[in-house]
This record gives sequence, C-alpha cells and structure tokens, in this order.
Amino acid sequence: MTVIVREKSTDSFAPQAEDDMLVCRCEEVTQGDIRTAVHAGLRTFGEIKRYSRAGMGLCQGQTCQRLVRAVVAAQLKVPAGEIGRVAGRAPVRPVVMKELALSTEESEGVDDYAE
Amino acid sequence: MKRYEMIVIGAGPAGLSAACAAAEAGMEVVVFDENAKPGGQLFKQIHKFFGSREHQARIRGVKIGENLLADAKKLGAKVVLGATVLGIYKNKEVSVRLEGEVRNYKADSLIIATGAAENMVRFDGWTKPGVMGAGAAQTLMNLHGIRPGKKILMVGSGNVGLVVAFQLLQAGCEVTAIVEAAPRVGGYGVHAAKVARTGVPLYTSHTITRALGADTVTGAVIAEVDGSFAPKPGTEKTLDVDTVCIAVGLSPMSQLADNAGCEMVYDGAKGGYVPVLDEDGETSLKGVYCAGDVCGIEEASTAMIQGKIAAAKAACELGYMSEGAFAQKAKGYRESLKKIRAGMFGPANKGRADIVATDEGYPLSQSLLKNGFIAERETADFPTFTYGGGTRVVIECTQNIPCDPCQDACPKGCIRVGADIALLPTLDASRACTGCGLCVGACSGQAIFLINDTLEDGHGTVGLPYEFLPLPQKGTSGKALDRSGRELCDAVVVDVRNSKAMDKTPMLVMKVPKIELGRARFFKVLEAATSGAEEGSVL
Ligand SMILES: Cc1cc2nc3c(=O)[nH]c(=O)nc-3n(C[C@H](O)[C@H](O)[C@H](O)COP(=O)(O)OP(=O)(O)OC[C@H]3O[C@@H](n4cnc5c(N)ncnc54)[C@H](O)[C@@H]3O)c2cc1C
Ligand code: SF4
Ligand code: SF4
Repeated sequence: MTVIVREKSTDSFAPQAEDDMLVCRCEEVTQGDIRTAVHAGLRTFGEIKRYSRAGMGLCQGQTCQRLVRAVVAAQLKVPAGEIGRVAGRAPVRPVVMKELALSTEESEGVDDYAE
Repeated sequence: MKRYEMIVIGAGPAGLSAACAAAEAGMEVVVFDENAKPGGQLFKQIHKFFGSREHQARIRGVKIGENLLADAKKLGAKVVLGATVLGIYKNKEVSVRLEGEVRNYKADSLIIATGAAENMVRFDGWTKPGVMGAGAAQTLMNLHGIRPGKKILMVGSGNVGLVVAFQLLQAGCEVTAIVEAAPRVGGYGVHAAKVARTGVPLYTSHTITRALGADTVTGAVIAEVDGSFAPKPGTEKTLDVDTVCIAVGLSPMSQLADNAGCEMVYDGAKGGYVPVLDEDGETSLKGVYCAGDVCGIEEASTAMIQGKIAAAKAACELGYMSEGAFAQKAKGYRESLKKIRAGMFGPANKGRADIVATDEGYPLSQSLLKNGFIAERETADFPTFTYGGGTRVVIECTQNIPCDPCQDACPKGCIRVGADIALLPTLDASRACTGCGLCVGACSGQAIFLINDTLEDGHGTVGLPYEFLPLPQKGTSGKALDRSGRELCDAVVVDVRNSKAMDKTPMLVMKVPKIELGRARFFKVLEAATSGAEEGSVL
C-alpha cells in the first residue's frame, strides 16, 4: 500500500479545466473544491468529505463516490482503491428526525406489514 | 425485541431466493425491501434471460421476479415492502424505517442482498434534467409507463445500455445513437445486433462531451476518444436529442455491510467496495452473509444461486440442515454457478481484448465488436449462416455466452448446444427442420432467422423475431433492413406466427427477393401503415 503523505502542497494551487464542474450534486461540490481540499493536504475520502461535504447529501455518496475518488486519485496519482470510501454509517438513507424519535424497541413482529 | 431466525435485506433475486431456500428449510424468515414493488432489478426486466433452464433462461425477468415472490410467500417467508433498513448494529440488530417509524428487530442470521446503484460520468451539463441513469429510464418506462424522452442518446454499450436502448425503441422512443468509450461493444453481440438492425448507430471509441440546453437537454455533443479516453479535437458531432441515458456500470450498495462491521475490500473488477466473503457468502462476521450484486456486479442468475448458497449455510449453522445435506446442495449450486459464469463475458474473461476467436476456433466478428453487427463477409466464418434448398434456420449467435434455450425449443432436435452452455449452437443437418419458428421466438438474443428460398418468382422469405407493437398484419408492406439497419429493398409480411410458446416474441415472415435472403434481417413498416395504431405501447 502506498504511504500517504499528509502535507499541504507547497506549490500554488493551479486551476484546471472543468474545476467549476459539479462532482457531488447533492452538496454542490465542484471538482475545484475537491482539488483544493487535496491541495490543502487532505487525502482520504473521509477527510475530503468532512472538509467539503462531498458525499454527505441526500444520496449519501451513492452518485458521487466514484467521481470524487477519481478526482482525488488523479490529483494524487494513486489507484482509486487507495482513497478509501464513504464510511457506511447508520442511517444509510435519509430519515426525518421525528421518525427517529419514534424509534421503538419493537417487540411485535412484522405480520401486519407483510405482503 | 422481536427476533427472527433470518432477516434478509433486499427483495431482489438474491434476497428472495435466499428467503425461499431458508423458509423451505424450516426457518422463520422476514425480508425487508425499501421499494414498493418486490423483485429488485427484475421488476423492470421485460426481456428474456440467458442461461440454461436451471437458471430460468428464456423467461422474462419480471416473470422470474413474480415467481420468486409467489414461492417466498407459499413457503411462509414474510416479505415487507416500503421497509428501508437504516442500519445494522451489534448482535445482528437491524433498524428499519417502516410506516413513519423506526423499528428494531434482531436476527440469528442476516443476509444482506441490497444490490447495486448506477454509476455516473461527468461531462459538461451532466446534472441537467434530461440526463439520467439507464436504470432510471427503464423504471420510468416499464414500471410507470412513462417515456423518458423522445430522442435518446445512450452512453455505454454494456448489456444494460443495449437492453435499455432496445426497450426504449419498444416504448416508441427514437434512440439516436449509442456511444461507447472503449473500442469494443461491452455487452453481448446478440443484444447489440438486435438494436443495430433497427437502424441505431453504435459509435465505439466515442464519448459524450456535453449536454446542451439551458434548463433541459436540447442536444448532446459526442466526440471520438484516443487510447487514453481523451476526446480528439475536431471530431465533435452534435446530436439532436432531448434525453441522455447513462449506462456506464453499477457499484455494489455495500454500505450496510460496512455499517455492520464486515471487513471490506476495494475490488475494481467487482465494481467498488465489497465485503470480504468466504465461499458460502459469509462475511467476516459470523452469521452475516451477502449475496447478489452487493458482493460484486454480476447477473440475476448468479444472484439467485448466491442467495441459495448463503441461506443453506445459515440453515445448516442453525441446525435446520445437516452438514452432509448442505455440502451436497452447495456442490450443485456451485456447479450451476460455474456454468453460468462461463464464456467470453464471464467474470474471468470480461473486458479481455486478447480474445480473438471463439472456443470453437472461429474468428470473432470484428464488425460485431466495433459496430454492433456482423459484416456480410464475416458470416462465412460461421457454419450456422448457410441456407438454401428449402426451409432452414440461420443462427447468428457467434460469441461464447452462457445460453441454450434454442436447444430446448426445437421439437425436432435440429439445434444443439450441449452440456457446456457457453459453446455456440450448432445445427444438425440430419434432422429436418419443419419451419415451425419456435426457436426464433425462444432465442433470448433474438438471433435466429428462418430462411426459405423456394418461392417461385425469384423471391424467398425471412422469418424474424419482432417484439414491437403494433404487430404488422399479413399483407403489410414495408422495407427490409440489413444487419446495420440500412434499407435494402421492399418487403411484404406474408405470415405472422405468435403462439403461446413464443411468449410474446412473434415471428414475422417477410417476402424479399432471393438475393437479399442472406442480409435482410429486419422489417420496417412504411410510415403510413402505422397511423391510427395504438402508439408506443410496450409488450
Ligand atoms: C437493464 C438490465 C438488464 C439486465 N439483464 C439481465 C439478464 O438478462 N440476465 C440476468 O441474469 N441479469 C440481468 N441483469 C442483472 C440483474 O438484474 C442483477 O444482477 C440482479 O438484479 C441483482 O440482484 P440482487 O438481488 O443482488 O439486487 P437487486 O435486484 O438490485 O435488489 C436489491 C434490492 O434491495 C433493496 N434495498 C437496497 N438497499 C436497501 C435498504 N437499505 N433497505 C431495504 N431494501 C434495500 C433494493 O430496493 C432492491 O429491491 C440486468 C440488469 C439491468 C440493469
Ligand atoms: S424452425 Fe422449428 S424445427 Fe426448425 S430449427 Fe427452429 S424449432 Fe427446430
Ligand atoms: S441462439 Fe441459442 S445460445 Fe444463442 S442467444 Fe439464441 S438461445 Fe441463446
């Protein structure tokens, strides 16, 4: 496995074509935002996500995960598999607070709901 | 907290098969699926599946799904729809969003069969309304009866892109083009050929560079790409389309496995992050299994078998099946898996550019790989393209794919595939073909044609599979198209066969001049003839 060096790049940030193109549509994060994060020294998907909010929207990274990984991998010149993933955390789908509040230690079965 | 012996997450082919197998073994099983309809991907697959009879070949996906659901219910598994699993906690505790509440259940064994999600590509305008996943387009058409657009550009030529392109045509849309960034068509040649002969151009080594339009898509720019997939300047073409469908692969939806704490690994060939599994589909957590696309993108046929193996293992662990019975079942399932994974598109060979000949030693049709149709000069390379001297079938199935319904269909035993179902079908010349056309209707790839060259006036007939509505009647005149969709000559429908056994793939018999019998492969109704007919209904 490649050793990932976490350091802010000393070169000045060089804009690229398509930097204003969206990568994560839920949180409106552009390619430039992600490249800026990498330039600032962030390396893994988890770090990039916390910094830019990419992958934190409605789809929880379902749409953008590969795209973000590709941008970071290209920037760092490492294989996509080295970037890591959006950690699978509950809730894996968006849920309204009220429903979470109504969470029950359900003791009855699902019989009333089954097909 | 209510405890179940097995909780299955996902009511696709993997999940439902697992539920059936576990319920059959005597376990108390509940299946959760967030959709309103069960069946996962199957509920929008209106095409006939490949494989062998044991893999439910020749049956349309939607029917396979219905059968699975009926079986699950009959065996006593409880299928709960509109139930989104939000998380998996310690001791196999599952939290489910159901009817506006979050409920928690415990399981002795857990099968995660959550399937996959569509990949996207980025290009200028990719977030505009009108750009959508091919699967989304398929859901719109086949579940909701809504055409996604009028003129479509399909991006990607894997089986999903090709199948959805064909279904868009069936729904009455125009498919303006299919673009594929790789130099070869990604999906089965038979799928490509059935789209190409309707006149849809397939551009390999091409990609989309822009979706045009202010608020919605009003056009798309495509360009040729070089060896490193970069668009070549000066090769841009603007297409008049209102919809762009993206079919560039799927990624396993493995978040729940990750959330449960299963060991994960990145595997590009499998489509992304997948749980690490043993040969029975058990994850690094005891009693937590995965089956289907969530463990790596494959097919419904493989998903069903994986589901059965995992369920049998769980049943064995909980004492519902003896070790011996499990070992025997697993052996059979694994053999079945091996059969369906064979061929040039199987996991071991997928994407290999160095395969230049079939297992039989015939050179692969390069035109089929590049353009989506077999060039006329290449037809001489295969023994099943010859006709003459009466009624004969021509089988245009030239790649090793795991499939054999043609063999099952022929009541006269004219067609043989054999035990290795990835081998090409062969014709037994010693058996007399009666011209019944059953094989034409049964072929999942719509690759069989019935040729009769004995008409007296310098004409002959071509029988072809025709899955479009309205179904032309006897006497309808139109044009015969060749394999590339080019108009060849006038043609008239002289017969339409549509028996129950053909399961909605009727055979249209068209009369064409004898010299065109070797190339006339599709029938296009003259515009005037279609007026007044029920517009664009899907089979
Ligand atoms: C256009 C197209 C054509 C195809 N053609 C063929 C073919 O000819 N032959 C073939 O064998 N295969 C074909 N396939 C592939 C096949 O459909 C899939 O491989 C198969 O459906 C995978 O089955 P699965 O059970 O793993 O997942 P899916 O069918 O995707 O089912 C997963 C289910 O899990 C549910 N789910 C996911 N997350 C949650 C959650 N958190 N809570 C609750 N439920 C959840 C989903 O709603 C879904 O219903 C085709 C696929 C496509 C898209
Ligand atoms: S037309 Fe009928 S008899 Fe002839 S090969 Fe096909 S199924 Fe067999
Ligand atoms: S000819 Fe036979 S093997 Fe080939 S696609 Fe048709 S049914 Fe399958």
